[in-house]
Amino acid sequence: MTTTENPRSRRTDILEDRPVNLDGFVEEWPEKGLVAMESDFDPQPSVRVEAGKIVELDGRARADFDFMDTFIADHAIDVETAEEVNAIPSVEIARALVDPGASRDELTRIGRGLTPAKILDVVKLMNVVEIMMAMQKMRSRRTPANQAHSTSAKDNPIQVAADAAEGALRGFAELETTLGVVRYAPLVAIALQVGGQVGRGGVLTQCALEEATELELGMRGITAYAETISVYGTESVFVDGDDTPWSKAFLASAYASRGIKMRFTSGTGSEVQMGNAEGRSMLYLEIRCILMAKGAGVQGLQNGSISCIGVPGAVPGGIRAVAAENLIASWMDLECASGNDQSFSHSAMRRTARLLPQMLPGTDFVCSGYSAVPNPDNMFAGSNLDVEDYDDWNTIQRDLQVDGGLRHVREPEILQAREKAARALQAVFAELDLPRITDEEVEAAVYAHGSEDYPERDVLEDLKGAQSVMDRGVTGLDLVKALERSGFHDVAENLLTVLRQRVSGDLLQTAAILTDEFVPLSAINDANDYGGPGSGYRLQGERWEQLKKLRHVTSAENPETEVS
Amino acid sequence: MRVSAPATGSGPDLGPADYPLSVNRQDLLRTPTGKPITALTMNAVVAGEITAEDLRIAPETLQLQATLAESVHRRQLAANFRRAAELTAVPDAEVLAMYSALRPRASSKAQLLGIAENLESKYQATVCGALVREAAEVYERRDLLARDEED
Amino acid sequence: MTAPTAERTLTLKEVGPAKRASRPDEVVVAVSPAFSDPFTKTIVDVPHAEVIRQILAGIEEQGVHARVIKVWDTADLAAVAHTGARLSGSGISIGLLSRGTAMIHQRDLPRLSNLELFPQSPLLDAEVFRRIGSNAAQYAKGESPAPVPTRNDQMARPRWQAKAALLHLKEFECIVAGRKPVEVEPVISRA
Repeated sequence: MTTTENPRSRRTDILEDRPVNLDGFVEEWPEKGLVAMESDFDPQPSVRVEAGKIVELDGRARADFDFMDTFIADHAIDVETAEEVNAIPSVEIARALVDPGASRDELTRIGRGLTPAKILDVVKLMNVVEIMMAMQKMRSRRTPANQAHSTSAKDNPIQVAADAAEGALRGFAELETTLGVVRYAPLVAIALQVGGQVGRGGVLTQCALEEATELELGMRGITAYAETISVYGTESVFVDGDDTPWSKAFLASAYASRGIKMRFTSGTGSEVQMGNAEGRSMLYLEIRCILMAKGAGVQGLQNGSISCIGVPGAVPGGIRAVAAENLIASWMDLECASGNDQSFSHSAMRRTARLLPQMLPGTDFVCSGYSAVPNPDNMFAGSNLDVEDYDDWNTIQRDLQVDGGLRHVREPEILQAREKAARALQAVFAELDLPRITDEEVEAAVYAHGSEDYPERDVLEDLKGAQSVMDRGVTGLDLVKALERSGFHDVAENLLTVLRQRVSGDLLQTAAILTDEFVPLSAINDANDYGGPGSGYRLQGERWEQLKKLRHVTSAENPETEVS
Repeated sequence: MRVSAPATGSGPDLGPADYPLSVNRQDLLRTPTGKPITALTMNAVVAGEITAEDLRIAPETLQLQATLAESVHRRQLAANFRRAAELTAVPDAEVLAMYSALRPRASSKAQLLGIAENLESKYQATVCGALVREAAEVYERRDLLARDEED
Repeated sequence: MTAPTAERTLTLKEVGPAKRASRPDEVVVAVSPAFSDPFTKTIVDVPHAEVIRQILAGIEEQGVHARVIKVWDTADLAAVAHTGARLSGSGISIGLLSRGTAMIHQRDLPRLSNLELFPQSPLLDAEVFRRIGSNAAQYAKGESPAPVPTRNDQMARPRWQAKAALLHLKEFECIVAGRKPVEVEPVISRA
């Protein structure tokens, strides 16, 4: 950077070489929105209701509303309570959020009437520990869960199937994939769906693609849910993304009309990254996104900065703001898939610190994409955590007695699941007349780490096969039949049971996942009932026994051996 | 195509204890083709009795889920389910086309009103129709209608 | 981040309004409002002098003529590049933002399309800029060169995302609304 005449101390040399100094940090620039959550340029809270309509929102009169104001005023905020709850002093609401004696129901009732600036005013009073306290209570589902990315740098379907099976076995409730070469999507989505059902029944899968294609795969039953439905906090950025709150609300209904679970995606930093923050703080704009999602009637939201994490991560208090945006999504009674899904830092210490505000209180999905493949194979451009962190994650769960949704699984079980997934996919490809999967590839899948450990596929043949899946109109039901015909009866049964869920619509309710007994678990039948010490979700009993296991634990009975 | 059930009133009075319907209220669940959910077995699949159409959600079921959502104070989620119930009757390709038409500067006001009219008259989709009409108003005010189009 | 041994500086001397040329053997290099002044280097400290030197060398080694223009009324890469393409005798241009993000564009393509895009500014070094110049020149000659290989780095986000946003905002501040593109003569001198 700068040349200096003075020699440096050896300590400075050592500090300079620490990984954290490879991360980027910038000063705030509030006038342009390059500020996390404390800005003099954010509006002051206000609300005025006339004749059952909100006519003033955060200092702006209805005539001056942009489309976000309009949508939020007309769809998100409860008009009947708006004036009453906005008059409650912010400090009272903030304290109620932290107070175990104040119920989640009461806080969601208050939350339903608040304006964006009022919500910001409340969370600005909270430090990160208070945000975590509140998250513990406001998370919608009682039982926390986790979501994985299962992708391949070579879009290799066998790899995706094997890693999906291992991920499912380790405990992920949802698996997400995406592509390097988009045309590969049908084959990789099939691989994810088949592999996921091998690891444990009831895992839900999705394939992140452009909106219309993603919906089409879902309609066919090749995927089970969708998530990459992006929304933004300013009108100009929303329009740049070629959508409006109304087009997105319509899309939400389109998914539900096919029985498909769906959540939106947003996050701090996206607007300033695109140069159109309109002088608002990152968190203020994210609150507008959260309320827009709420108004659209979508059951949940993936937020926590997501692909823009480098922006809040670089400004003061940015990770506190990210924790706050997850809290607000939960407070607004939405399922929250809480980020931790993108490469965040060169520093292992900083990666962990960024994770704890979600992992410790628990969220509906602690990661909205823990990389269940090595990060170089992660086609979402890398996650905050990957397969190489499995043992660390499991140890943190055991140390702090928190449930982050994963568990240690012994090697033989993992190898068995990986082999079965690869074999099942081999059979499905053969049944559907898709490019052959060789025994050599199956063998590789059992012991592989990343895509370089697999034999090369004939990409052109695969792409032809992928196209034929679309042309022939292959559906999830065809996968069930292919699995059944080739003797993978249990996998076929698992997949059929997942598909049958569409008919019931149970997975459309807030924060729904499937247990391994295929029981839908949502914020209705597993509503978060945290009310202070001794209440709510507790890591105990059989689940705690599971999480006590690690790769190496010395036996108390015979200290010359290990248990695992 | 079938007309969806009225928004409230005629359906069973559901509450949180009925959820999950796939466990507690299988008696209420039918496919759009009229089969009970319990008919969706592997034997039936193998026998060729199940088609992809059987694995879709029926409008009546979406109305049930809307009632459930309302019972736990999620009015926007319920409204979404009621719009969805209306859209079950609309073919996939038409749903995708309507979504595209709602993108910014994709349609004139007349085109949007035409979509609303079509939803209302052809599919009895009045809640969806209202959403599209609302979009037309806002797009006009915020200069988000297609440019160089005749109204 | 060490600076190159022979530090060069770049001055863009204004020649006059940028016009559409008729010679078919030229590539227009269109730079954004803050290029060379007030900014002097890319996000990873490649001096703008070096960027221009390499791009011009890449173009000229293909026997093609290069012309540099400055675009004043936008800092949107596609718009900068497309402005250049519309003025280019061959219809081919290279668009450049101050932080280094680059694009090869063609007059007949829609503005939001392109021939080659290099979105990851932190990964663009002198060699890549030279190859971008060379490829643009080959397009100008009607050839179909293999695209310049793009690189990827998982850790570019934590290192550079916020600085890129900051540079983007600063570049926007240098926009002069309504000012037409200007032809410039690049003068490279050793400091």
